[in-house]
Formats: sequence, C-alpha cells, structure tokens
Amino acid sequence: MGADARPAVTSERARRRLRRVTDPELDESIVDLGYLDEVAVDGGRVAVSFTLPTAWCSPAFAWMMATDVRDELDALRDVRDVRVNLRDHVHADEITTGVNDRRSFAETFPDAEDGVSAVRAKLDDKARLARQHEAVGALLEAGLSREQIVSLTPADLDGVGRPAADVAGAPDRSPDGDRESPDDDLACLALRDGAVHVAVEAGPLVRYLEKARETGFLADVDDPLFGTPDGEALTAERFDDVRARTRLASVNMSGQGGVCDALNEARRSKLGRKER
Amino acid sequence: MYEHEGEDVFVVDSHIHLWDASEENVKSDGGEQFIQCFYDYHTGFTPEGEQWSLEEYRKYGPERMARDLFGNAAVDMGIFQPTYLNDFYHTGFNTVDDNAELAEQYPERFLLNGRFDPRDGEPGLRELERQKEEYDVQGVKLYTAEWRGDSKGWRLDSEEAFEFLDKCAELGIENIHPHKGPTIRPLNRDAFDVGDVDDAATSFPELNFVVEHVGLPRLDDFCWIAAQEPNVYGGLAVAAPLAVHRPRKFGEIMGELLFWLGEDRLLFGSDYALWNPDWLVETVMNAELTEEQRDEYGVEFDLETKRKIMGENAAELYDIDIEERKRRFEDDAASREFGIGDGYAAAD
Repeated sequence: MGADARPAVTSERARRRLRRVTDPELDESIVDLGYLDEVAVDGGRVAVSFTLPTAWCSPAFAWMMATDVRDELDALRDVRDVRVNLRDHVHADEITTGVNDRRSFAETFPDAEDGVSAVRAKLDDKARLARQHEAVGALLEAGLSREQIVSLTPADLDGVGRPAADVAGAPDRSPDGDRESPDDDLACLALRDGAVHVAVEAGPLVRYLEKARETGFLADVDDPLFGTPDGEALTAERFDDVRARTRLASVNMSGQGGVCDALNEARRSKLGRKER
Repeated sequence: MYEHEGEDVFVVDSHIHLWDASEENVKSDGGEQFIQCFYDYHTGFTPEGEQWSLEEYRKYGPERMARDLFGNAAVDMGIFQPTYLNDFYHTGFNTVDDNAELAEQYPERFLLNGRFDPRDGEPGLRELERQKEEYDVQGVKLYTAEWRGDSKGWRLDSEEAFEFLDKCAELGIENIHPHKGPTIRPLNRDAFDVGDVDDAATSFPELNFVVEHVGLPRLDDFCWIAAQEPNVYGGLAVAAPLAVHRPRKFGEIMGELLFWLGEDRLLFGSDYALWNPDWLVETVMNAELTEEQRDEYGVEFDLETKRKIMGENAAELYDIDIEERKRRFEDDAASREFGIGDGYAAAD
C-alpha cells in the first residue's frame, strides 16, 4: 500500500500515539490520566489542548509534556503541522507559545535557573526503578530465583515485547509503530542455558526495557538487565534491599498519582471540562 | 477527647492554619490561584457532604475554627504552622500574629509555631527572637520554595539558613517543619527537593526536622533520607486524606513510612482548613492496612501505632504531658464552651 492510499491522520490515531507521552512525575500516559481536552484533526494538521491537574503543576513538567505531545505527533506520518495548547496554567501562554514556536525552555523562561534535562533525567531514573519493581515482580511470580533474575541480560528477553509470530495473540504493529498495550500478553523466556523455559507476563518487562533503554541504563545486549538505585548492576546480595527501594519508587509514583487524580477530577468538574 | 472503639485517643493536630484569602486580602493573581489550588485539594479529598463553599473557605475566622477542632472533640490540641506569602496577600495568608488571635482564647489548647526566611538577614533573626519572646514558639514552619523578587527559593543547607538554624538552637526552637510537598510555584520544582534536609539534619542533631507532607511527591527521597537521619520526622498533612477515596494508596504510603521511619517518627496533621479534623481524624482512625500490605511491609497500623501518630509523637517533640493536659482540659475554656469536659474526666 502506497503512502497516498493511507487514510489521513485521524484523531484516533493521534490519540493512540499520544499514549506514549507520560506525566514524568507519575510515569503514566497523559491519555490514561485524562489530561487531554481535545485532539482536533484537519487534514495533516493536528491541534491538541490539554489541562493539568493544577494550575501550579511545575512548569518544567508541563513543558516536558507539551514538547513530548508535539514531538510524538510530529513523528506521525502524514502530520504536517502540530499545535499544542496548554490551558489554565500559571504559565499557559509562555509554554504554549514557546512549544509551538519551537523555542527552548531556557529561551521561554529566561529566569529559570536550570533547563529541564536534569529534572527529566532524575524522574526517568525513578520511573526506571518503579518499572524494574514491576518487572522483577513478574519474574518472581513466574518462579525465577533471585540468582536467575540478577543474571539476566537483555539478550535473554530477546523475544519479549515483539509482536511477532513468536508471541501468540500480539496485535500487529502499525506503520507508526504504535500498538495496543501488551499488558495481557505472556512471553516465553528462555533462560541462558536454554534448559528452562518459563511463561512470564510480558507487559511489565516491555515497559521496563523501554525505560531502561531510553535512559541509557541498558546500552548493550549483554549488560546486566537490572540495576540498583545508583545505577550499578543488581546482585543477589543486594536483591532484598534494592527490592525495597524499587517498591518505594513505585509507591511514590502511584501515591502521587492518587493525589493528581483527585485534583484532576475536582478541577475538571469546577471548570466544567470534559474530554472531547 | 476522641474515642475509638471505647478507647480514648489524645489527638494533637500538628498542622493547622487560620488563614485569610478573602478577596480583599488577595494582592496578586498568584494569591487567587493559590487559594483556588487549595480549594481543589479540599474538594478532591473531602467527602461530599463535608465540602465547604469557596466563600467559607477563603476566610472562616477563629470561631468556626475552634468549633471545627473542638466541637466534635476530634482534636485535643493544635499546632499552628504559619504561611506568610506576602507577595500574594496584603496582610499575609496565615501569620503567627493572626494565629495568636485564636491561640490566646484557648491558651492550653494551641502551640504557636513561628517561621523564618534566611533571605531576611539580620532583621529576620530579630523577628525570630520576637516570635520566641512574644509567643514562646517551639517550632518554625519553613517554605523553601517561596518566591521573592528574583529569588526562586532557598535551601535549608545554605550558609544563610544555617545561621538561622543556629539561632533556633540557641533560642530553644527545636522543631523545624520544612514544607516539602506539593508545589507552590517553583519554576524548577527542586526548591522543594528534600535533599537539603539531609545535610541540615546531620549538622543540627539537637534539632528535629519534621518534613511536612512527607516529601510527596518525593516520598522515595524522603524515606531514604529519614531512614538514615534519626532526627528526621514525617508530617502526614496531605497524605492523611488519601484515606478517604484512596484507602489502598493510603495503606501503601503508611506501609512505606512505617517500614522506613517506624511508628515513633510520624505526626498526624489535618492541614486545616484544607481538610477538617472533624471528619479526618475518624477517617484515619478507621483506616486499616490490607492483609497483603501488612505482609509486604511487616508493620502494623493498630491502635497503639495510631495513638503515637495521632498525638503521642507530637507530644514528645513539643514537651506536652498528656496526662497533665487531660486534667487541665476537664474544665478549660474549650471544654466549657463545647461541653467536652466529661471526656477528659472519664479518662482519668
């Protein structure tokens, strides 16, 4: 099928792509969090408006989400123009204009002391730990020992998360690379010696791999799969104490998620705002 | 006194305010947005029948406050935590002098905390001395992320802040309450980063650092620091009302706090008037960890633990003799006005 025959961008496709944008503090998709007010598509033009749970949401976080929305939609085939509109925020105008004019954070906020990259890196690290918690949990659930878990490398997970024939029931990957949540899939994990095959819940592993690669923690297929909060390789000796730390990272994010969720509901009902 | 399944529980609400965000007092857009944001917190975490109108919420006055705290015998004592925000409100939002207005009517029932801002320099030190002399403050509430002019906040581990902490130690102001919680308005959110508590707590072992809002949304950083610094405590304001609509998350957060800090270093606070202890105390007293959470964390959130969190731990930090207070409360101004003296007499 040639590019000309492809359907134009639809609001559904745009919305599906936006699932990749997370609230960096909560590591959850802004679509699931209900921040989107409107995704309007007109030919190759997409306009997205969104409202955050408070007008005080850190401008750095708001900036990250607004730029991620822009960049994800930009990456969609057939999209020629993206407009992002952050609403009802103390810095709504600066952020909306800055992001649409493709200015940097520092240009938009000359009095900010730092850029957003350090904050983003720190939150990404927390997200990696929280996701590690879920991934290790899935492996423990599947019956792996801590020794087996600490010896894993990305190579051992080669088939995990690939929606190919080797994972039954996985939906096809669309040309945009977006696919439905793989959370319900089971992956078959062949341990290094090949003698043991276990079925593991794929979703947590896929989510972990994605963040671990994105943050640069996993650069090589032979790197140890899991780490400590300091970025060292996980060992059997430190397994329990690191597990407590990753649990804490996960509870922090989901606990804050509960706070933002309540604020979001309260605010949307006050503003009379429903997602369209 | 609060009664839970036939048992008395002495409640010290360690985080209360008497604020004025009336339209006349709002000085800037920031002030209006600030109270609106507070109101979202209020409605988001308050059971439907207990929600206030925005008008009531802007300015409720000392009479209503006394009724909310004592009318239903939910709270035995309260600790005021001032919040100045002079860039936002003409006469400040919630100052030590405003708080004193109510505290003086019920002198046995309230403790007044002061505040400082190291950017005030020498006059700030004099003001801290005045607060000690006039109100005998035993603690200070600190807003490290308060904007002022070009400054986007300050750090607790700075040289200037240490000068003020030295002054606190000298004056016997032992309880330092940094707000490390939801954002006010830091351009870079790290003005509420909890990292600076670490160095301050190590450098001032004679002071107690009660991190308000347990660092949310930095619970992980907070717990990690508190696990290593014995003089770091957690104030539960904002965490507590999660028990209303999100009991599972509340259980997880309590599980983490009890796991990392233990039951002796956590203090209940309603953050009044964000939430009203009139119903919140009951909500927290009735909250339970699930069996799964108790197994996961290896901790209990039972009556003994709740007694510590709801009052005994604050009493320890603020030198409150609970038994002696109970005797005095049999017939003090609040007990007479609200007819709650019998609860104390019966507890003898």
